[in-house]
Amino acid sequence: MRILFILLLIFQFNLLKADEINYLLKIPNLKTFSLNNKNGLKYLTAKKNFKIGVQSNISCNKLGEKNLDNKFSLIKRNLDIYDYEFLKKINLRFIVLCQNLYISKINTAGIPDLNKRTLILDLKFNEKYFERVIHHEVFHLIHDSFPEIFNEEAWSNLNKKGFKYADCSTCTDKLGLDIYKNTDGFLTEYSKTIPSEDMAEVYSFLITDNKNLEKIKKIDPIIFKKAEFIESRIKKINNL
Amino acid sequence: MIKKIKASTGEKILFIFLILLTITSFVFFYAIKNKCLFVDKIDLKKINFPNKNNIAIMNVECGMVIIELLPNLSPNSVERFKFFISNGDYDGSAFYRVIKNTLLQAGDLEFGNIENIDYFRVGSGKSKLGPINSEINITFEFNAGSVGLVRGDEFNTEDSEFFILLKDVPLFKGEYTPIGKVIYGLDALTKIKSSDKTEYVLRPDFLSDLKLLEQYN
Repeated sequence: MRILFILLLIFQFNLLKADEINYLLKIPNLKTFSLNNKNGLKYLTAKKNFKIGVQSNISCNKLGEKNLDNKFSLIKRNLDIYDYEFLKKINLRFIVLCQNLYISKINTAGIPDLNKRTLILDLKFNEKYFERVIHHEVFHLIHDSFPEIFNEEAWSNLNKKGFKYADCSTCTDKLGLDIYKNTDGFLTEYSKTIPSEDMAEVYSFLITDNKNLEKIKKIDPIIFKKAEFIESRIKKINNL
Repeated sequence: MIKKIKASTGEKILFIFLILLTITSFVFFYAIKNKCLFVDKIDLKKINFPNKNNIAIMNVECGMVIIELLPNLSPNSVERFKFFISNGDYDGSAFYRVIKNTLLQAGDLEFGNIENIDYFRVGSGKSKLGPINSEINITFEFNAGSVGLVRGDEFNTEDSEFFILLKDVPLFKGEYTPIGKVIYGLDALTKIKSSDKTEYVLRPDFLSDLKLLEQYN
């Protein structure tokens, strides 16, 4: 039995790729891309495909150089709006860039990890709404860092009576990110999945398409309240 | 009459080649066997330390490693580190986690000592004093020779374990508590046993002892 344990241990150790990045982030096959940024963010890219998580349920692939060059300035421009202090409060330090990011076989735009202060971003996920997706994922870190401020029950009470979110964000196939013509309390199909995704959608519009959101706020009182909810709480975090 | 047979040129070359091969084999055999052959020896008497109260001396298989502690940067962490050193707690500690040419980790007082190494639990051990808060310095550059306290995924989980860098790692800036800097003897640390495939070393090397300079006098 003891020999079996040792063999298992050796086998497990062999899977680990030893380098200083893996030592710090527990993600193998990464290389540093940009470290000296004003707001302290450190960008890393996948030099090979990697798998992490429980039973390696998270996977992402190596980036093509062309894809990276095209997207990096866009990502940096979007993340540069957050200053060092704010990023410290929301526990974001590392941005891992890769492509074809999957969690439990479901393609996803990003995976935030509060403990490791890391956001993994899929550069190929939804080209059309890529900028919105970045801020959507940042919001998840904001929410996870301040769950009591972004109270889900208080948020759910802003909806029409009788509305119920799905049990989880992937429990439905209604995952569209196109903005509704008639919003009726929800900006996109994905907003209807769970409260945190709804909040993240409102937040991402506040950051990337505020003009449009202002118009919607005038005709949709629920969206108005939701936008106010997010804005007031973001201010609260800024003042902490 | 015995006729003298002269060696042909080819035979002479072959003979010289065999002699050279034998000499080379002996040299390489001893050089490879003695991994410490090219490590400079340090003579403490010849070094004039500016701050004698904050010098720690580690003895490893290939020689002496001298660490200057940095209480100005991380006062609590250095105080804790010095406490363990003074107690002799690090003597016999295993370098159980080694990233080749990059980093060495030791200092698990519970499961990582030569007297009681537990391969299943090494790295998860705790000291009797419990964790302390991180003392992060956002300007400290983690260069070759930097000594930092190991932490878990979260900050404020540092205890007795420490790492020593064998190369510059800019990524670590602002991520770990710096407690010292190797000022002499980094070469001796590059000879610590590592593995090409994994950072966890089975049958690791151990540090013989770690003492403060004042304990030598």
